Formats: sequence, C-alpha cells, structure tokens
Amino acid sequence: MKLAWQNIFHDRARFLATVLGVSFAVFLMVFQGSLLVGFLQAASRFIEASDFDIWITARGVQAFEFGATLESRVREMATGVPGVVETGRACMAFAVYRKPNGKQQIVALVGADSNLGKHFPIPGLTETTESRSADSVVYDASDRDLIEVASLPAEVEINGHRASIEHEIEGFGGFLGVPSLFTSYRNAARYLGVGPEDGMYVLLRVGKQYSVSDVQRKLRQRLPEVDVLTREEFAHKSRMYWVIKTGAGSAILTAAVLGFLIGLVVVSQTIYANTMENLEEYATLKALGASRVFVARIVLIQSLICGAAGSILGLLAVVPAMNYARSLIPWIHTPWWLPVIMVVLSLVMCSLASVVSIRSALTVDPGRVFRA
Amino acid sequence: MPDRFLAVEDARISFGEGDARVRALRGVSIAFERGTLSLVMGPSGSGKTTLLSLLGCLLSPDEGTVFVDGVAVNELSGSEKTVLRRQKISFVFQAFRLLHSLSAIDNVALGLEIRAGVRADKMVMARELLLQFGLGEKLNHEPNELSPGEKQRVSIARALAGNPPILLADEPTASLDSEAGRNICQILRTQVDQNGKTIVVVSHDPRWKEFADRTITLSDGQIKPQAQGQHA
Repeated sequence: MKLAWQNIFHDRARFLATVLGVSFAVFLMVFQGSLLVGFLQAASRFIEASDFDIWITARGVQAFEFGATLESRVREMATGVPGVVETGRACMAFAVYRKPNGKQQIVALVGADSNLGKHFPIPGLTETTESRSADSVVYDASDRDLIEVASLPAEVEINGHRASIEHEIEGFGGFLGVPSLFTSYRNAARYLGVGPEDGMYVLLRVGKQYSVSDVQRKLRQRLPEVDVLTREEFAHKSRMYWVIKTGAGSAILTAAVLGFLIGLVVVSQTIYANTMENLEEYATLKALGASRVFVARIVLIQSLICGAAGSILGLLAVVPAMNYARSLIPWIHTPWWLPVIMVVLSLVMCSLASVVSIRSALTVDPGRVFRA
Repeated sequence: MPDRFLAVEDARISFGEGDARVRALRGVSIAFERGTLSLVMGPSGSGKTTLLSLLGCLLSPDEGTVFVDGVAVNELSGSEKTVLRRQKISFVFQAFRLLHSLSAIDNVALGLEIRAGVRADKMVMARELLLQFGLGEKLNHEPNELSPGEKQRVSIARALAGNPPILLADEPTASLDSEAGRNICQILRTQVDQNGKTIVVVSHDPRWKEFADRTITLSDGQIKPQAQGQHA
C-alpha cells in the first residue's frame, strides 16, 4: 500500500503532529495507569506480602493501615478450628519516632511475626540478624531522607522506647506521607502498648487438604464478633477503601480515567483529522473505480502506521519519565502488561477512529471531483 | 435500435428544494457512438458537468435512463456501478486530481492497480504510458513539480491505464496555456483515431471543435441542435 505510506510521509508536519498526538495519549495513559496500579498495589502491599490464607480483623476494619486490637482469645479460638495449621500476627499503628538528632516524626510502625512469608519485610530481618538486638528496626530506602540516620545501626526512640535502626529494605515505600518502620511483632506490641498476646491482625494458614472457604465459614461461625476474610478479600477491601473512599485515591482514579479518556479522544481526533484532510483524494479514487475495500484499506493502514509510530514514541518518552517519577513517588508501578495494553488499546482506537473516518471517505460523493 | 454503448434517454435531474430547486437536465436524450470524440458545450449552468456525471455513473437521474456499454445503469447497485466505472470509464479533470503524494509514475500505476488489480508489470506499463506522452524525464516528479500541461498529460496517462474504452473529460484544457491545450486536444484525438476510444469532452474551449467529431450544445438543461465538427 504505497499510497498509504506516501500520504503519511509526504506531509511530514501533519504526520509529526499526528504521531505526537498519539504518543502524548500513550504517555498519558501509561503514566496515569502506573499511578493507579501503583496506588492499588501499595494499598494492599502488606496483605499480599504475607502467604497466609485468612486474615482476622476487628469488625469493620477497612484497610491494613487502620487496624484495631483483637483479644488473645481470638487467636486461641481460631487455632482450634479444623484446617488451621499455623497462625501469625501483624499490627500497624502510628507512633512517634525520635531521630538521632532529636527531631520527632510520626511514623507508621508495622510489626509482624517472623513466619508471615518470605516477602513480608520482617522475616528478612530476623533471618539475617540473629546477632542483632531484639529491638532492631528496618526502614524502606524511599524514606531515607525522613528517617535521617547518618549510619547504621542508629539509636532512636519509638513512642519513648529505645530502638535500633539496623537495616534498609526496598519495595515497601508507602503513600501515607509518613515513613514506615518495620520490626518484630513483639517489639511493635511493646512500642505501641498492645498486650504481648493480643493482636491487630491474626493470620491463619489453612492445611492443603482443607478448603479455605470451608475453614473461613467455620471461623465466622465460631467468631461472629470479628471479620474473617481471605487474603484476597482483605486486599480487595483495602484497595477499594483507599481508591474509592479517600480523596487521594479518588483523585488518582479520576485522573487515570480522565487520562485514559483524553488519550482516546486525542488518538481518535488526530486520526480523524488526518483522514478528512485527504477526503478529496478518496473522492478521486472512488471516481476512478476504487472499491470500498481499497479505500478503507488505505485509511486503516495510515491510521495503524500513525498509531504504531506514536506508541513507540510515547513508550520511549514514558520510560525516563517513569524512572524520574519513581524517585519522587516510590509506590508508582508500571507492570509489563500496562504499556502493552495501552499500546494495543491505542491501535484499536486508531482503527476505530479510522472506521469513523473511513465512513466519511466511503460516503464522499465521487461527483465532487468535477468541482474545480 | 439506437446505439446504447454510451447514452442517456430522457434524462431529468434536479438539485435543491423549493425555490432553490434547479432543474439541471430537462429530458436530455443523446447517444455517443463508439470511437468518436464528442464535444459538449454550453454556458455555465447549462448541465454539461451534470451530463458527464450521469455518463460516468457518478450521479443517477431522477427520471430517464443512462446506458454504458449497453447496460442500463439505473438498475445497478452502487458497487455494481463502481465495477462498471472501473472497467469501462475513466476521467480527465480540469483540476487534474493527481494524488499529491505520489510521483507521476506512481499515479499512473495506481490507476492501473485500481482497474487491473496488482500486477507485477504495472510500473513498466505506467512508464510506457508516460513515455508516450513525452514525460520520460518526469517519471519520478511529484505533481507539484510538474507544469499544468504535464499534470494533465499524467492525468490522461492515468485515465488510459488499464485501457478503459470510455474517457470522460471535464474542461481538460481550461487550466492550460494555448500550446499545452492544443497538445492535450491532439493526444485525445489520437486516442480516438488509433485506439478506438470513445471520448466525451465538456468544454468552453472553442479549439476543441477542430478535433471533435460532433458538438452538442446544452442550454438550460436541454440539447440545442447539433453542429458538425471536424477532424484534426
């Protein structure tokens, strides 16, 4: 289809404008999508980092960040339910952190038993720090500036208790606007004033021969005063809370949806305008006897060329932008499938836009060729 | 039985509504013989281009019948008309209507591709056509690099690609100077004499009378008595 290529490359300024339009759309969709995906992941990161099957929370807890204390009997009663083969505890609450330089800072303190799973930040600490003090604490690298420790280990205070910051981890940067500190459950309970046998979250591992939903149902019968959720249910609940019920989440969701819609409109508009520009030539082709398929193929190929070129440019632009954004927004995340979906979507939109413009091209009156 | 190779019978067509309604053709009947060059003249608004559009299957009459190669075009669907146009009819336009992004040879090759499908030898054939019209040195020039006369010769080469028997030309010399215009007249006359084409030229240009076999004059959508033309 030489004509399609020639039409595009002949008017380079228009081609560039079209490609820039598509690339802007792809950039916008990938960037906003990354914000949304990152926010969703961050909203349930701790829950999904554990490999336990069931979470027990106080009644009405919406998200991991807002837990409430559970009595120790909850854990004891859960242990007695057939199918429960292992239990663990986790807690999270805000605490006052006193830096080595004496300044104070509110922090999110996360404590967990060491058996919660290899992805949870606590086991990494306990497995590698046998020689370290019992009150050792770790922080995420993205919070380094707020933690303000010159070297490790560093002596600090949490809620007036002595603590030792001993390690830096990665991948657990939060969106709360305060740094997160991680330690063992026993330490966290001490810092937060929670009874050593109480818990905020009781986590249960279900034996392989048991159905998680059956065990969940039995737990609900035995413990009607608490919420019993599968890991996926609690993660979903937490994500929905942050995205739907908080202003920040709603803003990100709205921005992502708007970015997506604006991207689609930009793609459609640029492709449509491109086709309309050549309407006279399509009339000539029709007058010469070109079939509808012949004309439609030219329009479609032009659209796809613009879509592909714009997508490539958009992706090339979004890579450094994302790298820079990660230094400012640690939780932003671009899964591999996001750019793929956005590029495919852009190409589909180019095709759909071309279908609309093909309609114009196909319905153009070939008789207009006689108008000088 | 009249020759219905290319003809209209009692064709009537109007445009617009109410007070703005214009009756472009008012019962025109005319047949164009094979292998002739016919000139259609008349003042602006007399219906010349409308007649050409009917003959080219680009318009359908409100009443009456159009015949192309013996087929009553009125009874054909849109896609059937497209096929008929592709096989039998080609056009030469006053504004040339060359595709601006394609070179001269690609424009001609495209005409060939539309009429004869993708052919391995289309570039060779396009080149031969352009050589016939003295454009051997302009094969790879884009339309904006050609003079008006050269553009019209490329346009004629494109019209002849695929060898359609009927050629309809709308004011083909209106944008050309005297010499280039005469050259175009001669080219089309040669196509009639040597290749048996049936050509209908709509024009205000009186030079065509010298090359036409027949002159038809339209006035207010009706045919005036014919005048006899001369061969070149």
